[in-house]
Parts: sequence; structure tokens; C-alpha cells
Amino acid sequence: MMNGIQQTVTHSLDMNEQTLRDYFTKTPDLIYCHLFIGEPKKRALLIYLNTLVDKNSINNNIIDPLLFETKQIHTIADIQLPIGSKSYTTKWEHVIQRVFQGETALFLDGDDHVLLLDTQGWPQRAIAEPQIESSLKGSHQGFIETCEKNIALIRRYLPHQQLKIEETTVGRRGHTPVALLYLEDVAHPEVLQELKDRIEQVDVDTIVNTGELMQYIEDNPFSPFPQFLLTERPDAAVSNLLQGRIVIVVDRSPSVMIGPMTFITFFQTVDDYSTRWMIASFLRLLRLLAFFMAIFLPSAYIAALSFHYEIIPLNLLLTVGESRERVPLPPILEAILMELALEMLREAGLRLPAPIGQTVGIVGGVVIGQAAVEAGIVSNIMVVIVSLTAIASFIIPNPDMSESIRLLRFPMMIAASLFGLVGMVIGFMLIIGHLISLESLGTPAGSPFAPTRLRDWKDTLLRFPLWMMRTRPLSARPTQLTRQKKFRK
Amino acid sequence: MKRYQFNEITTMQYIFLISGTQIGIGILSLPAQLADIANTDGWIAIVIGWIISIIASTIIIKTMEKHQQDTIFDLSRRYFGRTFGTFIHIAFVAYALLASITVVFTAIHITQVWILPNTPNYLIMMLFMLPGFFITKNGVRILGRYAEVVFYLTLWMPILIAVPLQKGTILHMLPMLKEGWAPIIQAVKTTVLSFLGFELAFVFYPFLKEKKHAVKAMVIANSISALTFLLITITCFIFFSPDETPLLIWPTLSLLKTIEFPFIERFEVIFLSFYLFVMSTTGIPYIFTTVFGISQLIGKKDHTIVLLVAVCIFIFTSFLYNPSFFHVQTLGSWWEKYGLWGAYFFPIGLFIYTSIARWFQRGKKK
Repeated sequence: MMNGIQQTVTHSLDMNEQTLRDYFTKTPDLIYCHLFIGEPKKRALLIYLNTLVDKNSINNNIIDPLLFETKQIHTIADIQLPIGSKSYTTKWEHVIQRVFQGETALFLDGDDHVLLLDTQGWPQRAIAEPQIESSLKGSHQGFIETCEKNIALIRRYLPHQQLKIEETTVGRRGHTPVALLYLEDVAHPEVLQELKDRIEQVDVDTIVNTGELMQYIEDNPFSPFPQFLLTERPDAAVSNLLQGRIVIVVDRSPSVMIGPMTFITFFQTVDDYSTRWMIASFLRLLRLLAFFMAIFLPSAYIAALSFHYEIIPLNLLLTVGESRERVPLPPILEAILMELALEMLREAGLRLPAPIGQTVGIVGGVVIGQAAVEAGIVSNIMVVIVSLTAIASFIIPNPDMSESIRLLRFPMMIAASLFGLVGMVIGFMLIIGHLISLESLGTPAGSPFAPTRLRDWKDTLLRFPLWMMRTRPLSARPTQLTRQKKFRK
Repeated sequence: MKRYQFNEITTMQYIFLISGTQIGIGILSLPAQLADIANTDGWIAIVIGWIISIIASTIIIKTMEKHQQDTIFDLSRRYFGRTFGTFIHIAFVAYALLASITVVFTAIHITQVWILPNTPNYLIMMLFMLPGFFITKNGVRILGRYAEVVFYLTLWMPILIAVPLQKGTILHMLPMLKEGWAPIIQAVKTTVLSFLGFELAFVFYPFLKEKKHAVKAMVIANSISALTFLLITITCFIFFSPDETPLLIWPTLSLLKTIEFPFIERFEVIFLSFYLFVMSTTGIPYIFTTVFGISQLIGKKDHTIVLLVAVCIFIFTSFLYNPSFFHVQTLGSWWEKYGLWGAYFFPIGLFIYTSIARWFQRGKKK
């Protein structure tokens, strides 16, 4: 482990301080606070990282009581401080790791035990509504960058002893705390073990974001589709916990990761369950339609114009021909040009600060709009199609899924320009062939369609009334299938 | 010990896998063949063919039941010894190969005639081999799931085919049995062959998770196919009249020509493109059987390399050879001739042989 430093703390305070000073070179924010405590006075050393601690807590709860200590202090265990969360260690490794996490270490002369006190306090933002996943009826609290707070948000929904939390760290340099949350009587132990094994295997420098951890542990890195759900909403996390899935909270990242997921779960939102079932079902179907439109609409346009113009009714064909009269580009180039323009606009709007962001909107209206048509670059129909595709891909509630759909559109367009409808169908076959062989934590992503689990269909294309949802979905392999018997007592 | 534990398929997947294999290219020309032989009574032949295929598939299951972890490849060696067993193994692989060649080339031919007249056949072959490779590569479990999804995705197609029914004349179906039973019995030979596909139970049975439902599954699979055949044949007869039907090469597709929407014309182009899904569920199981059989023959557990070689050979062949309609038909008739032996006579013979062999063995033990 640590180079050139002995493993355990010694009895001599001076030697310990020297070890610390050797180790923490050029660390101006590490505070060494020398104290004389008890009667008769005994030397003690308090160290903490000034940037990561709550100074009020140290001053009031540690230094103040220590200064006015009148008892005789023999060992470090004699020290009583008004802080609940404390631990003892003799290992340097622990001391250093904890100090880096914002805890305070207290050394006493003549004792080789170190008292570690929880005084964490670092800059963090307030809990606010998540920006990328806003909700109409759900809670307006979103996860923040602190693991503990995020767990607290989840626990508020599930005050139950079966909600278990397992903590571990990932990354040699970052020591990112990662917490696994699951309902012990529901989540399948095999799935849990698989997830734990995978996280344990990760050996990297550090994990900055949840998305990074996700890519290290997913089943198929060559898939365009997400295999874990990333969410910033505690209610979404809880709803998935109740379905028997496992929530992974990564410290320093506002999104939590949920697995195992199936393909269809990326089309569900928490709002679906708080809206009435007919409306929710309609929205589900709308999203599925949007999925197909976002992938296939531009390629259908290309296929119809370059191969099968005979399928377009005569009246429409005349209009299309009229509008394409002045366009010099073949359909595929026209479509790729416009789709790329759309993607650029979207990306530009995403990164720009809000005041300049408005400019993107105005400029975008010119590029994808009447001006482009009048300039003779693209046809009217193409503009309509690009706009429809854009709207369709906005409807997909999960940003990861929406992005994979945006990406799949391009190979599909190329296939359509080479082989027309046949190319599209073959592309569709490949997508299906890929989706049914895709797995998330060893559970099939195509469930409940392939393999068919009719019982799970209640929460897929349609969202059945809540009183009919008596069982948890089988796709997460829950060990306790029944959610509720009847909704009345 | 279970040999295929990680590749098991559910009963439902098994049903769709079998019926998916049965419903494929035959159905496109079936009404014409039936009308040619048996005129208005062709549909009765389907019912008889259905019963016969159920009997044959039950015999297959009964044969396989004794050694639940054996495919036909293991079984043949178990009963016939090394030399003769290998011969049967190769014969079955050759049969599956012939079937896959027929399906693939017919699909290419139909695509060229109806959808992409100017695209060279080797490009279409390359295109078809893409999903063929990726789905076959993943083994029986994915094949089963694929058959399931395709079943759901193509549910709308029979409904659409039935649309022309309302414009037809039901009188075309009468009189029944106007020429007696003789032409019907003749037509049974044709219908029996359109049920080809259930013989793949020889390969897929060991993968079935719940073996006790096997017979039921075969009955359901055959019934799904029979219903589809009946629906299409009767629609053709009612719409075109049994006298006009034999004049059409692909009456099922001609049927679609009549479907019109205000927003879309030439609907059969879209329908046929989508029909590639249905054809894929016929071709892929046969390709899998071929590849699986060959890799067992050369003692390889993983069939990916064999599959890759097979796909390359398919693509290479398509550069040299583009079958005409006549050739495609000849291929089809070869398959049917071979299939009559492979799917009907062979299982019966095998069943009798294994029963006698077991009876003798039991006698020895006593």
C-alpha cells in the first residue's frame, strides 16, 4: 500500500505527526491542530482537511469540549465527544482514506489508536427538481451529488427494514463510494451477486459519473441500446426498487443507475402510474409510435422516393414531385443533410447558456424551415419529415434511449437508400435480432415479448388499471412475485 | 444431466419456432397448386394434411421422448452405430441444407421479381445473410425468441389478407366434393408438404424446457399453420374462383394487389417486404440445423465458425448463380421430394426401428 510508510500507527505522537507530514506534502488544506487535553495535560493532535469538513462542527463539537476537558485521559477511548458517528483504527490506510473523505482524525500521545470523527461538510447544492426529467405529477425532488442525501431521499419512500444498503468503493485513486440498494425479500440474489461481482471487477483510476460505471459493468458494450436506467428522480428509483430491481447510487453523481432493465422499461415514466390508466396507456402507445417514427420515417421517405414511388398515391406523388422539382440533391443526401443539421442544432442548444440558446432556436428555424426550401436546397416534405422525427425522438422519456434511436436512424437511412423497403426490413430484423439477444445483468432485455411473459404485458404497451397490477414484473426475476392481493382491506 | 440447459426454449417459443418454419414460401403458391389438382375442394386436402402432419409430428416426439437430451444427430448414432449413424446424420444435414438453399434463393427470387428488379442478386444475398448470421449465431434460445417476436409482428398480415373476402363470391366454394375424393387425396400430397418444418422437432426437441407439453405444442403449431393455410386458400378461392387461381403464379400476392388504401398504393410491395420476416423464420431454423449438424459432425461445440463459412459460401454462390423461376421451382420440388422422406417416412421407420430395438434390449436384460 503506501510507499515508505509503516502500516500501523505508533504510540509516539511525534513519530505519527512526522509520518503524516511526510505523506501529506504540499497539502496546504490539511490542518494540524495541537491540543493539550485533560488533567494532567496530555498532548493530542487533531488533523482534518480544511476543505472537506464542517468547521462549525469541529469547533463546537470537538475542539470546544476537548479544551474544557477536566478528567484524566489515559487512552483515546476516554475521550467523550458530542458526535454520534465515530470509529477507532490503528491502520494508516484507514486514517488517510477517511481524512480524504472529510473526517477528522484525533491522535493521542501514547496511544496507537486513532479516533475518526464524522465531520464531513463540503460544498453541495440544494435539492431541486431534476432538469432533464421533469414531471407533471411526481415529486419535485431530484438526486444531488451526495450519496447520503440520495439514500435519504430513497429511504423516505421506503421506511422498511427490507431495504438493504451495501456500500463499496470503486477506483484506485478516486475511491468513489458506491451504494447498492435493494429490497432483500424481492430482489433476486443471483442478479444481486452478479452486479456485485461486476462492480468488484472494476479496476480503474476513478469514476467521475454514474454513466462511466455503467459502461464498465454493462453486458454488451457494442450495443446501441442502454442496458441500465439512469435517473435523477427518487420516485423513479423507488418504483423500480419495488419491482425487484437494484439501485446503484454513486457518490458525486446526481444520477443513480438501475438494473436489470428491459427494453420496454425505457418507455415507462413515473407519471404513467399517477395518471389515469387510459391516458397513461395512450401515452405509452404514443411513445412506441414515436420510437418507430424516429427510426423509420426519414428512411421510409428515402425508400419511397428512390425505389418505390409507385406506392405513393398519384396526388401525393405530384405534390412531392412539385416540391422536389428545384432540389438538386438525391433523397438520401437531402435527408442526411437535414438530419445532421437537426442533430447539430440540438447539440448546440444543449451546451449553450440560456441567453445565447435563444439564438439557436431562431437560426434553427431558418435552417430547418421555409428559408431552406425557398433557397432550393431541400423540399417541403423533407422539412416536415425532419421536424416530425425530431418531435418523435423528443417524446422518448429516457434520454439514453432517445440518443440510441437518433443514432440508429442514420444506418437505417443508408440501408433504405441502397435497398429501399427491403433494406429497412432487414435493418428492423437486425434491431430485433439484437434486442432479443441483449441482456441486462443476465436477464433478457426483450422480456416480456421475447421470452413471452403474458403476465407482464399489463405494464407495457398499455398501462392496466393499478388494481390489476398485482404482481411484480418477472423480467427483474423478483423472488416475491405478489405485490398486493387486492387494493382494499 | 441437461446438455442444453443454458439454451432452453419455452413451450410458446417452441410452438412459434415450428409454425414459423412451416409458414414460409410454400404458402405463396399453395392455393394455385391446390386449385389445379382439386379445384374447389382443395381446402379439404389441407384439413387432411393437417391431421397427417399432426400424426407424423407426434411420432417424432414419441421417438425423441426416450432420450430427452438427444437431437436426431445423437439419436442416429445411438441406434445405428457409428457408420450408419453418421450416414443418417449427413443425410439430415443435407436435407436441411437443401431446405435452406431453397428458402434463401426463393426469397431472393421473389424479392427481385416483386420489389427490387434492378438490384443484383448477390447484393440481396449479402443483405439477407446479415440477420441470418446474427440471429443464427446466438443459438436456439434466440431463434425461439425471434420466432416469438416475428409472430407478434406479423399478426396483422392474415387479417389483411382476409380483407378481399368481402368482395368475393362465396358460391365459388360450391359444389363440395364435386369430383369425389380422388382429386382430394391427390392434393393431400401437396398439402402434406406445405406442412414441412415440423421435422425440425428432431433438432429442437431437446432444447424444449417442459418436455411434457411437447405433443400439445406440436398440435398447436400445426394448427396455427393449418389455419393460416386455410384462410389464404379459401380467400383465394372465394376471391379469384378456383378456375382463375391456378393461372396465377403467386396467388397470395396477387390477392394483395387488390387491397387499396387512399394513402398508399401497390400495397403488396410493403406487404412483401414485411413478409421477409415470415420467410426469415423459415430459413433461419434450417440454416441453424445445417450449421449445427455440421459442427456436431466435425466435433465443434461452437457453431459460429461453421456458420461464417456457410454464409460465405452462400454469398459466393450467389455471385456465380442466379436461379431463374424454373430453377427455384425445381429446387422446391427437390426439397418436397426429400421432405416427404425426411419428415414422414423416416420418422415412422425410425419409430418402428427404435421400438423394436428397445424391445429386444429389454428382452436381453430379462
